[in-house]
Amino acid sequence: MTDRQMNDTELEALFAAGRAVRATPSAALLARVMDDAMAETGARATPEPRPHGAPRGALAGLVAALGGWPALGGLATAGVVGIWIGYAAPGGLEAVTAAMLGSGYDVTDMVPSLDTYLTEG
Amino acid sequence: MPMPFDAEQSGETDEALLLAYGRGDAAAARALTLRLTPRVLGYAARMLRDAAEAEDVAQEAMLRLWRIAPDWRPGEAKVTTWLYRVVANLCTDRLRRRRGQGLDSVPDPADDTPGAEARLIAAARAEALETALASLPERQRQAVILRHLEGLSNPEIAAVMEIGVEAVESLTARGKRALSAMLAGRRMELGFEDD
Repeated sequence: MTDRQMNDTELEALFAAGRAVRATPSAALLARVMDDAMAETGARATPEPRPHGAPRGALAGLVAALGGWPALGGLATAGVVGIWIGYAAPGGLEAVTAAMLGSGYDVTDMVPSLDTYLTEG
Repeated sequence: MPMPFDAEQSGETDEALLLAYGRGDAAAARALTLRLTPRVLGYAARMLRDAAEAEDVAQEAMLRLWRIAPDWRPGEAKVTTWLYRVVANLCTDRLRRRRGQGLDSVPDPADDTPGAEARLIAAARAEALETALASLPERQRQAVILRHLEGLSNPEIAAVMEIGVEAVESLTARGKRALSAMLAGRRMELGFEDD
């Protein structure tokens, strides 16, 4: 038996025979592929909702860390009142401190060691 | 519902159909399904030699096509080339998994099948070719199948396999030499006469 190599013509005859045999898709496969196509169209038509309560950015993260918007409202009010007291120095404030601490007290009564620094000379 | 495309008889290009599907045209999806599923399945079946696995791959490849449709950029790639590449990658994954499991699901050579003698020469040739192809290294087999059975051009195969055209030529040449050597002993049986 001669085992010479196949020539190109013979090999091409094999390829031709190979091309003639081809897997054909079943109706079930075509239906599945078509179902996928329609499902994907449907999925695109209804965009995915944003997960509820998820933070949307750096500011949202900060607000959440401080206890949400109600807490931030209180913080803002306290800040504004502090600025107002600093600028206006309302006279009534002295009456409040006098009433609370009494007029006989000085700052050194509360922090005695401070006296050393306050003494002149 | 308007039916602008008449299934596979449509003269529209694959790309036009894909863009139409991306805009929600169901008829375009039907036309693409009928036109491309056979090609995708045929290639997967040749690579995997397992009908069920080939069907899974075909469905998965088509699903990826549906998903890319809205983002498809016209003129950048041929739809079929893109699809063949997806199928090639899916088949490679499955073939690797098979090797990893140490399983060899490749059927026995055709001439062990009872009644082989009664087959037509053409069927015997197709079977012998398939068996020989299965024993080629994967890249050679891929290149030979794409070139000689799927009918792709060398530049198309280069795009599918993500290699240069010269590398494709080298793979197909080596693949054909190996096939020729493997099948030399069966020349008479396959109906080829000595000169």
